[in-house]
Amino acid sequence: MASRSLSVQQEEMAVSGQNLANVNNPSYADEQLDVSESAPLPTPVGDEGTGIQINGISESRNPLLDSQIQAEDSVTGSLTAQQTNLQNAESYVDEQITSTSSSATPDSPNGLAADLSNLFDSFQSLSADPSDLSLRQSAVASAQQVTAQFTQVSAQLSTVQANLNTDVQNDVTSSNQDLSTIASLNQQIVAAQASGGSADQLVDQRAQTLENLAGLANFSTSAESNGAINVSIGGVAMVSGVSETDSLETYNPGNGQLQVQAQNAGTQITLTGGSIAGEITARDGALASLQSGLNTLASQLITKVNTIYSAGYDLDGNTGQDLFTGANASDIGVNSNVAADPSQFQAAGAPGAAGDNTVALALAQLGDQNVAGLNNQTFSANYAQTVSDLGSAISSVNDNLNTSQAVGQMLTNDRAATSGVSLDGEMTNLIQYQKAYEASAEMITTLNEMLQTVVNMKTT
Amino acid sequence: MQVSTTSFSNNFLYEIGQLQSQQTTLQSETTTGLSVTLPEDNPAAMNQVLNLQSEASAGTQYQSNIAQVQNTASTSSDALNSLQSLVEQAGEIATGATGVSSSSTLSSDATQVGQLIQQALQIANTQDAQGNYIFGGTDTSAPPFSATTDSSGNVTAVAYNGNTSVAETEIAPGLTVSAQTPGENNTGSGAEGVFADSRTGADLFSHLISLQQDLQSGNTSAISSTETPSLTKDEDNVVTQISGNAVLQSTLQAAGTVAQQQVTNEDSQMSDDTSANLAETLTQLSQTQTAYQAALESGTMIMGLSMMEYLS
Repeated sequence: MASRSLSVQQEEMAVSGQNLANVNNPSYADEQLDVSESAPLPTPVGDEGTGIQINGISESRNPLLDSQIQAEDSVTGSLTAQQTNLQNAESYVDEQITSTSSSATPDSPNGLAADLSNLFDSFQSLSADPSDLSLRQSAVASAQQVTAQFTQVSAQLSTVQANLNTDVQNDVTSSNQDLSTIASLNQQIVAAQASGGSADQLVDQRAQTLENLAGLANFSTSAESNGAINVSIGGVAMVSGVSETDSLETYNPGNGQLQVQAQNAGTQITLTGGSIAGEITARDGALASLQSGLNTLASQLITKVNTIYSAGYDLDGNTGQDLFTGANASDIGVNSNVAADPSQFQAAGAPGAAGDNTVALALAQLGDQNVAGLNNQTFSANYAQTVSDLGSAISSVNDNLNTSQAVGQMLTNDRAATSGVSLDGEMTNLIQYQKAYEASAEMITTLNEMLQTVVNMKTT
Repeated sequence: MQVSTTSFSNNFLYEIGQLQSQQTTLQSETTTGLSVTLPEDNPAAMNQVLNLQSEASAGTQYQSNIAQVQNTASTSSDALNSLQSLVEQAGEIATGATGVSSSSTLSSDATQVGQLIQQALQIANTQDAQGNYIFGGTDTSAPPFSATTDSSGNVTAVAYNGNTSVAETEIAPGLTVSAQTPGENNTGSGAEGVFADSRTGADLFSHLISLQQDLQSGNTSAISSTETPSLTKDEDNVVTQISGNAVLQSTLQAAGTVAQQQVTNEDSQMSDDTSANLAETLTQLSQTQTAYQAALESGTMIMGLSMMEYLS
């Protein structure tokens, strides 16, 4: 009995040692030795205790908390991907309010808003003195600045979208690796449990892998009695028991924007969480709206300005040219003829009248007009709305991400309270086990002395 | 509830992170004086600032347009005043010639009128500070009036080469004015011509040339019956132009004041939309710093403690 007690205390110390060693391992769940009183021996004076026995080692894992944390990881993963990419887009749009000194009026000097204002202002200047070559040059330069800003922002946003496609591709690959790992761990866990061994370490690994996967794509799980966990994504079974039944793959629906489908089942999967969902949401949501807003704005600017401009006359009496070339934000440009020679700017409403500003004035007044193709807003107001919409999208993501991180932190705390290792708790346990070990050893010493006394009685 | 060792450090890092983030935001607000810098900070304020910025920029442009029109209007005013005194002189000569029979006096008057015609031509071809001819309508690049002279150097005809259009300049949203005037408008519509207009009967050069010719020929009766009334029409026409110019200048001045006021208002609204309340921000910054310091001190104190310190 004393000997069994010694070995139990040793085992307790081993478990504490294991807990202490994993104190900083986030996927580790606190382990305990399950012990019970060993079966008593019937004696004439009644049942006599035989000490303690080990039933096994168990870990403190709460499957409900695990699944809640996985769900929150998916939400956080999605929002983080959205935040990163939308903030990139925001920096490319470059509408940043600055104030260089305390007296300076805050404004946003670098973005398209200032360029659009400058364009219409330069048309105004030109209308006040349409024969002035420097004002013509300035109007052409403003037009070039607007087109350069449009094409630059458009190209940068396209890069962000292309990068998002690459991210979706990479995250799908990582998800498939996690699914394979989960299937393989299921296999090992089932085998270990079937042979009566401990699978705690494998369960910890699987929990960690599931959390990684949750950050990439949201999924649902169901536990099997043999210890395996089934994983399905978007309603399609990916891991069933010990086998990986399906995997994710990207496909191009025709517009170049990658979507996700199940490789074997061939069904499209609409993810609602995880970084893949965040990347697709950012790409097809706020980013697509931003690009579409810019394209509409550029296209309306091209059409409206050219309609007025092409009817005008330059200083040599020529007419019929366009000011802007291209069709949208990606390819808008300034007619190379007028760019090379500002005297060709068609500011007049009639030939041979250098002081005729009819067209320049109409172009200037275009800036104040509500355009039907821009939701009856002016060019500037429509652009301000587009920027503000992007800001609202990011602001909403920021708020949701803050909430999600707080919820994640709370759930992690809850799990730590159940499954985490407490250094102080383990140290206290160690002292308890040490004392119990000393007591058991003392019992053996006492028994030894008693036996020695009996032996000595015979020899004396 | 059991508090695991990692949960304490995780919480500590999370709280410190939150406080650091708050401090960075408040610090940035304090140094820039702005509570809004990016669209995500306050989308509605950003929308308003971009619109106000565009309006303020347009307001500044209106001021520049007004200054430009004022320059031309001022040049025009000087020219019109000179023209008025010239017409008055011509009228006085015409009136003075009535009943004079001395051919030398009439000849001297005729020479004087010849000089007046040359002066009037000079005024008619006045250019503004930018080199634009102000009495050619929208045809501002070439002298609008050209004279034909006879063998003795007398002007026999003055041709108008400009047009009857004027360029309007916007000085406030939807409000346009023009400092340009056509030198001649016999079409019966549009802006009135300064030197000749069929609606008022003004035709200064023609009347001056007739006066000179009548003086040279001694036809004083024609001077009193035809040229004097004609010159009166010319003077009336110039006076009308001068009063029109005065109205334009006062309109410009009023519009300039409005535009300046508007820009000031828009600037002030932009400041209101984006400025950080420094007193509030600094107080919050100070509170956050205190919380951060307390978190660091308590954190290091608690993390420094362990049961192992007390085990021997």
